[in-house]
Amino acid sequence: MTALEAPAAQRPSAVDTKPSRRRLRLPRGLGALPISVWMLLFFILPFGLVVWYSFGYKPGLYVTHANDILSLDRYGEAASPAFFAIFVRTLKIAVMGTVLCLAIAFPMAYWMAVKLAPKWRGVVLALVLIPYWTNFLVRTIGWQISLTPQGFVSKTLQWAHLTDGPLHVLYTSAAVQLGVVYNYLPLMILPLYVALERLDPKLLGASRDLGGTAWNTLWHITVPLAAPGVTAGLLLVFVPLMGDYITPTVLGGASGSMVGQMVAAQFQSAQNWALGAAMAVLLMLAIFGTSAVVGGVLKVVGRIATAMTSLKLPAKEPS
Amino acid sequence: MTAAAQGGGAPRRHSRHRFRPGDAFLHVWGLLGLVFLFFPIVVIVVFSFNSGRTLQTFEGFGIQAYLAALSNPAITNSITVSLITATGTAVVATLLGTFAGIALTRRSGWWAPGLLVLLGLVMVTPEIVSAISLLPWFVTLGVDAGLTGFNIGQVRLIIANSLFASAVVTFIVRARMTGMNETLEEAAGDLYAPPFRRFTDITLPLIRPAVISGALLAFTLSLDNTVVSSFVSVAGSTPWPVYIFASLKASLRPEIAAMSTLMLVLTLIVLGIAALILRRDPAGSGKGAAGLTSAMVGR
Repeated sequence: MTALEAPAAQRPSAVDTKPSRRRLRLPRGLGALPISVWMLLFFILPFGLVVWYSFGYKPGLYVTHANDILSLDRYGEAASPAFFAIFVRTLKIAVMGTVLCLAIAFPMAYWMAVKLAPKWRGVVLALVLIPYWTNFLVRTIGWQISLTPQGFVSKTLQWAHLTDGPLHVLYTSAAVQLGVVYNYLPLMILPLYVALERLDPKLLGASRDLGGTAWNTLWHITVPLAAPGVTAGLLLVFVPLMGDYITPTVLGGASGSMVGQMVAAQFQSAQNWALGAAMAVLLMLAIFGTSAVVGGVLKVVGRIATAMTSLKLPAKEPS
Repeated sequence: MTAAAQGGGAPRRHSRHRFRPGDAFLHVWGLLGLVFLFFPIVVIVVFSFNSGRTLQTFEGFGIQAYLAALSNPAITNSITVSLITATGTAVVATLLGTFAGIALTRRSGWWAPGLLVLLGLVMVTPEIVSAISLLPWFVTLGVDAGLTGFNIGQVRLIIANSLFASAVVTFIVRARMTGMNETLEEAAGDLYAPPFRRFTDITLPLIRPAVISGALLAFTLSLDNTVVSSFVSVAGSTPWPVYIFASLKASLRPEIAAMSTLMLVLTLIVLGIAALILRRDPAGSGKGAAGLTSAMVGR
């Protein structure tokens, strides 16, 4: 593993100059070697194999893949209208779910970090963490039980005359939408909370003392300072949401299926690994493409916002 | 968890005396949010006391489901598989993650940014993609290359679950090491402590809270893992979430809710221990749950 040996020219640290020359000098960064090998063996190489399969084809009914003829045909197949429709639906559910999570989580994180008395903060944070660490599948089944047409939610709504007949939400994309917003909400609340908790309350006070309205303070102080948390939250929700497999399986039925299920079906029931691999690669590209675009847009918006605020300041000084 | 509260405890002199509609809205919103977060969990716990035959229709109150779950060998076997997998995952992830976390902060080099990006990729790759990559890979290694060890279900599960978990442990240990003063280790070096003793006597005790909480998190992450496990597991070693996932296709029975409630209690105990350890962390750089979160977010 010469690759991990330190460049000799590098400035030696204080520890290395000490006169313990007798001992065997271990190459720097040796501790990172096991995890690197582990990830190479069980993360990079397996994914490389998937990329390789995606250029192959399915030769016969009982064979999963073959790579003697390489082509991009599987990508064409994966982008065909039937599959493309599910791609679009997945993207819609993911974008909508991420936005809804942000809309629900921001006031909640703000409440936890700013409005709540410090002694309650730890308790409420623990209460948010508990659902997050509860089994994902079990939580989703909790919604499945609740949303069945004969379930107690449906009966309560009918009793209160809020719906005419039994609830027909389960096994639609609306149920999937609800399920994903629920499942990924803690992943939005936590980074927002971390960002807002570091917010100095003095800044809010200063803004108020200088005559800023509550809205001004929120828009010019709180939101810009929470921006790193917002970006982290958007990524933490959007990325796993795009590849979700459990929520649509439990709540979606045929009309609410997502790309994750499509990929899984190619590897399980259809046994067409080449096509499934192409879909998985496309899914990864879609996720990273969208994240990069959103990240870029957020950066530009941030720059414009900074530019606009910094433009304002000198204009005020003379008065 | 209360350590998190120490951070922003500035005095709040206003808002005690007059009613503010904005604050009232936030309080209501926050409490409704908590109700929303707990709703399906409460449903599962309540329905675990369902004495009926199917989970969805509540017929009567009773603990039959718990007795049935504990005497069903398929369920108890899956719990055993899950616990063995979780323990193995915790050991592997803690060893890999601790050494990587230390190396990243103390012995960092040109490889460090690359490794961080790699671990970040491991954390953001959708589970379904890891799952479908590992399945053919294990088949290639175990069947085509003849490395029969990769055909053992338990081995496959531990490897598959350790990927995400060791990335998490690395970030937690790294966060702890970053907040730690290096002078103690240097002092030990000045006093001619060999590197191994310097590690066991100084570094390890200082990062112990991060290591233990990382191990417990790896344990609970593994207990939760459904997608990757359902792809790589082989007949005979079905972990608990995969058992639930498989029984979705037939009909759900109250036993599932009963055993899920018991597993929830186990998870809460493990998390409680993790929280206690982080709270007693003297340096305070762990900062309880908030520190945990920022470690996981990677900032």
